[in-house]
Order: sequence, then C-alpha cells, then structure tokens
Amino acid sequence: MRASLLLLLPLLAACAKGPQADLQYIAEARSLAAEWALVNQQAAQGKLTDAYVTAMRTSLQQQANTAAKALTQPDSDYAREMRAIAAEPLDAAPDELRAHSDRLKTIEDQLESA
Amino acid sequence: MNPLELTLGIMTAVGGFVDISELVFAGKAGSTFGYALIWVFVFSTVGIMVFGEMSGRVAAVAKQPVFNLMRHRLGLKLGIVTLIASLIANLITCAAEVGGVALILNYLTDAPYMLMAIVSTAVLMASMWVLPFKWIERAYGLLGLFMVTFAVALVAIHPPWHQVAGGLVPHAPAGLSTREMLNFAYFMVAIVSAVMFPYEAYFYSSGGIEEDWGPKDLPMNRISCTVGFGLGSLLAISILASSAQLFGPINVDPQLPGTTALEAATPYGKIGLVLALLGMLFAVGGAAIETCMANAYSIAQFFGWEWGRHRKPWEAPRFTIAWIVLFLAALGIILTGVDPMKLVEFAILFSILVLPLTYLPLLLLAGDKSYMREHVNGVVGKTLGWFYFAVVTAAALAALPLFLLTSGGQG
Repeated sequence: MRASLLLLLPLLAACAKGPQADLQYIAEARSLAAEWALVNQQAAQGKLTDAYVTAMRTSLQQQANTAAKALTQPDSDYAREMRAIAAEPLDAAPDELRAHSDRLKTIEDQLESA
Repeated sequence: MNPLELTLGIMTAVGGFVDISELVFAGKAGSTFGYALIWVFVFSTVGIMVFGEMSGRVAAVAKQPVFNLMRHRLGLKLGIVTLIASLIANLITCAAEVGGVALILNYLTDAPYMLMAIVSTAVLMASMWVLPFKWIERAYGLLGLFMVTFAVALVAIHPPWHQVAGGLVPHAPAGLSTREMLNFAYFMVAIVSAVMFPYEAYFYSSGGIEEDWGPKDLPMNRISCTVGFGLGSLLAISILASSAQLFGPINVDPQLPGTTALEAATPYGKIGLVLALLGMLFAVGGAAIETCMANAYSIAQFFGWEWGRHRKPWEAPRFTIAWIVLFLAALGIILTGVDPMKLVEFAILFSILVLPLTYLPLLLLAGDKSYMREHVNGVVGKTLGWFYFAVVTAAALAALPLFLLTSGGQG
C-alpha cells in the first residue's frame, strides 16, 4: 500500500495544475526568447546564413506560441509575457527579446522559491 | 593497422553520443548546471567502452550478436519483452533522428521541414540499399567528424579551463533547491541513458559480425571502442562546456538543435555555422541508420532470419523489408507533426528501461568460458561490467519517477 502511494506521488506531481505546473513552459519560453535574441544579434553581425536565420526565427516563434497555449493559467502575468513574446516580429530587436526573457526569469525564480 | 578500420567504432560513437538527443541535452546540461555534469559523461563513457568492447569481443569470438544472446539467455518470454521494449525505444529514437535530420536540412536550406523529412528518409534508405556495410560506416563515420568543429570552437572561446577540469570531479553543485536537485538527478540518469543507448551495442556487435571479425580483430575492437567512444564523449563534453560558457549566463537552455550550432558560429561566423550543421547532419543521419539497422538486426536475430548488409538486399529479404518498414514507420511518426525534441525525451526514458536487459546477457556470455575460451572476461572486465550493470539498473529504477517529477528535466 505504502509502495503504491509512493509510486502515485510522481504521477500526481505530473498531473498538477497552476503556476507550479506552468513552470516548465515559463522556463521554455524564457529560453526561447533568449535564443531568439541571440539569433537576431548574431544575424545583425553577419555571422549567420540567411536560410538558418529564417528557419530558426520561424521555429522559435512557433515554439513560443505553443508554450503560451499550453499554460494552465492563461490570465497570469507570465501568460501575458509569453503571448507578447509569441507576438514579436521575426526580426525583433535583441534587447526587446532579452527583456522578455529576463522578466520571465524573475517570475520563474519567484515561483521556484515559493 | 588501417585507420579506416576504426570507422565502425567512430560511426557507432558519433551517432550514439552526438545524435539529436545529445545535441540538445548536452547543451541543456551545460547551460543549466555549468560544468558540473562533465564527470557523468566521462563516467558513462567508461561504461559504454566496457560494454562496447564486450559486445565486439563476443561477436568476434562466439560469433553471437547481442540479440541472439538475449533470446538464449533470458528465455523466450523475457526475450520477447526485451525485443518489444527495445523496438519501441529504437523506433522512437529513429523517428527523432529522422526529424533531426529534417530540422538540420531546414536550417541549411530553409526548405519546408516536412518535405525535408521525406527527402532525408529517401536518401538514408537509398544509401542503405546501395552502399555495402563497410561504406555506410565509413561515409557516416568520417563525415560525422565535421563535429570536431565543436571541440575547436570550444578552444576558440577560451573557457575557464580550471572550471572545465573541475567538472571531471564527481560532485553536485552546491546550494541547489530540492527541485534543482531532482533536475540534476534526472540529467544524470538521462546522460547515462543517452551515452549507453542500447542500440549502440546492437549495432556495434552486429557490425562486427557483418565484418566477419575473429579473435585476430580483438586488439582493433579494443582500440576502436576506446578511440570511437572517447571521441564521441569529447564532442559531447565540448558542446556542454561551450553551452556553459556561452548560453548559461544569458538564460538560454537550448530548446532547438539549431541553437547548439551557434556555439560554432560565435567564434567562426558563417563558416563555423555551416561546418557545425554539416557535422550535425551526418552524425544525426548516421544515428538514424544505426537505430533503424539496430531494430532490423534485433528482429532478424531474434527470429533467426537471414540478416546483414554484407548480403545483397534480396539475399536477406525479411531483414531488408524490416529496415524499410522501420524507416517508413519512423517517417510516419514525424509526419504526424510530433515534435522530435519530445520524442527524444521518451526515447531516453524507454532506452534506460531496456538497458539492464540488454547488458545482462552480454555480461553472462562474456564471462562464460565455454564460449569465450581464453577471451573470457578478466577480473577488470568482470568487475567493471557488474559495476556498470548495477549503475544502469539503479538508473532504470529511478528514471520514470524522476521524469515525472521534473517534467522530463524541464523543471
């Protein structure tokens, strides 16, 4: 019985809802915004090929959109931030994208320490 | 000794270590935990060297590939369970690799991802049909060496070498919260799984039989394992260390394989980027072929069919149909639109569950003097073998709870 309960705990944790359950998507979006910023920065420095830049920007935007849609708390601050990332133009300024990433990082740290 | 003889080990290792899962996973390990997980790569590399050498030795002396052993040593019921579990693990991995090749072609050409998945599967299948085994391993093993770009790029960005060296010492970073500690544990288990993927043993031992190895080839088997897996490990560690240096400080935990290529673009611009992408293309393409062949080998060996790419495709018809169907199944999975990176998480999880069942029969046969004669496991081989068997068994038990608790290492 006790062993069964121990096995159930991780399953229950995996099915949870709320900000804690959204943490994985917040972390994903935080990284996607930072990756996007890095791509746009290096593209501006002429370090990347056009094909790579186009493909990466499109993928990053799509993934940011998917992460935003997967949230269980769509009215939260972090959800608004994530939707703002997904709405950025493909050639958004690196500083703008980095600011989104930093704000999500702050939220992520607060939720982790809660 | 002809250096080209090492290509089986190099292809197995480059395809095994720096496949699509490692490209993202090593990057995430570095950005999340700095250099602290380097020792897990080194530790696991010794493990795959031990079992790789053992599987090659058994293939050379007893002329038995791993899946033959499984049926005889585990019995029919457990053998079938292992066969089904490894088929699922390898098929998911193969699909992830096909998706990975398509993604990399998308980065190189900006052609549509789905179209690239179809084209790359056709090219991989054509290369398997046309090329003899020796040329498959040489082509993908040697072209995968473009991945050395990552090691060169690491040197170019001048990482803090004392911290990199510190990562070789087994430890966990200080001051981690419970959540971070669980994440760290998940990464440890996943790295063991990704480095010691069962398909590497199936492919390598079957490759030894394809090449008609005998006892005279044992020194080459040992060198091939050491050089091949050592090189694969070095490349994975280079990706991890560059990620710790470049990505960690700016909040990047690579979510896409394309991000990993930025490690080479940062110091070398477009040339570095293209070389890195080409290395990734051939390494991941090689891994797709390895996983597909490992599955076809497993099925054919389990049911006692004619098998091998040293024969013409029509001389081993059921084996040929098996690998064609498996490649098409992998493509079918990708065409459903599933994210290859999600597949990677499941591939790692399934693989670790299969690992103990893969390596137990190998250990038993390599220690059986009636088969192996003077080439039976010595004290060192036996001790290391059973030690790593205990490690993979513990990792298999911990894998599922850790996967659920950390959402597959996402936090």
